[in-house]
Amino acid sequence: MTPEPNGPKKPDEPWLSAEEMIGRLSGVLSPWQRIRGAVALLAGVAGAVFIGSLWATEPGPLPVGTRLAFAGLAVFCLAWAGYGGWLVTRRVPLFAADQVYAGRLALVASTLTMALTVALTVQRGTGVLAAVLLGALFVALAATLTVRAHRTRAALLRRRRELLDQRATGDRTS
Amino acid sequence: MADELLVLRCRLGEREALAELVRAWHAPVWTYVRGMLDAARADDVAQEVWLAVLRGLPRLKEPARFAPWLFTIARRAVADHLREEYRRAETAATPELGEQAPGEQADVVDVVEALVERAELLAALSGLPVTEREILVLFYLEDLSIEDCAEVCAIPSGTVKSRLNRARRLLREQLAEKGYSR
Repeated sequence: MTPEPNGPKKPDEPWLSAEEMIGRLSGVLSPWQRIRGAVALLAGVAGAVFIGSLWATEPGPLPVGTRLAFAGLAVFCLAWAGYGGWLVTRRVPLFAADQVYAGRLALVASTLTMALTVALTVQRGTGVLAAVLLGALFVALAATLTVRAHRTRAALLRRRRELLDQRATGDRTS
Repeated sequence: MADELLVLRCRLGEREALAELVRAWHAPVWTYVRGMLDAARADDVAQEVWLAVLRGLPRLKEPARFAPWLFTIARRAVADHLREEYRRAETAATPELGEQAPGEQADVVDVVEALVERAELLAALSGLPVTEREILVLFYLEDLSIEDCAEVCAIPSGTVKSRLNRARRLLREQLAEKGYSR
């Protein structure tokens, strides 16, 4: 319910000031709040891939308790990935700068995850090709998103410069 | 151009630009929402409009056409609320009045009163049908062009003109009934 502002409410003026409305929108306006969805998504996916590789390359059959522990950890990571994906796609906008940061984070996370899983599979001598292919796929996807984010931001910056130049020219002529 | 620049800065993710955008359009959004809903709901619905606007901003194709895009979102939010409230009112009004206890009758009267209060809008617009009221709010209070009104309401420009004519005529009749004369 709308909080009672100071003084009587007028029917034809906003009861909330613009600053109060900005306060209510702080979840969307804060860069950290926006980027945390991408962080949760990346951490969740990276964790799930790593846990999955550990589990898949275990030599010999595992006790039930260990299998349950692996499954629990994988579900935990996937839950974070799902939450992050929901935030990014449904709840918070990712503006051009956010997309660039998210793309770079994705590139770092996918490269690290690939390095770890490939090192693990090499050490255990199994599933190396699958780890390389899966890792390369994630790195390529992250690189594509990062390049696209940079292009979008560059186009916006270019247009901003044009508008500022037009405004400056207009100011000089008037 | 000023709007386009501000929207571009927002799409880049500049926090100050986002706050500036809300400051610049807070009153127009509220006026539109208040024109269509009662004052008690206007702030909450305006907040919903802002959340949808900020979430949709990265996908806005033409920053120069921000105003019609904004009011299209506001219109959708208002329509959702009106639909929901009419549905609730219908559900509440379904039992026959004669079979209800006095308390229940009072509830129905409250709903009707709430609907009547909602229909009051800005004093001069009270009593107009929703479509005519909306077009007057967009054209006169929000100062949108015929083309922008057409885009917001998803109707042809010719329909906007005829709706405006009808709205003006209805408003004139209402004012005459209340004893106003030119």
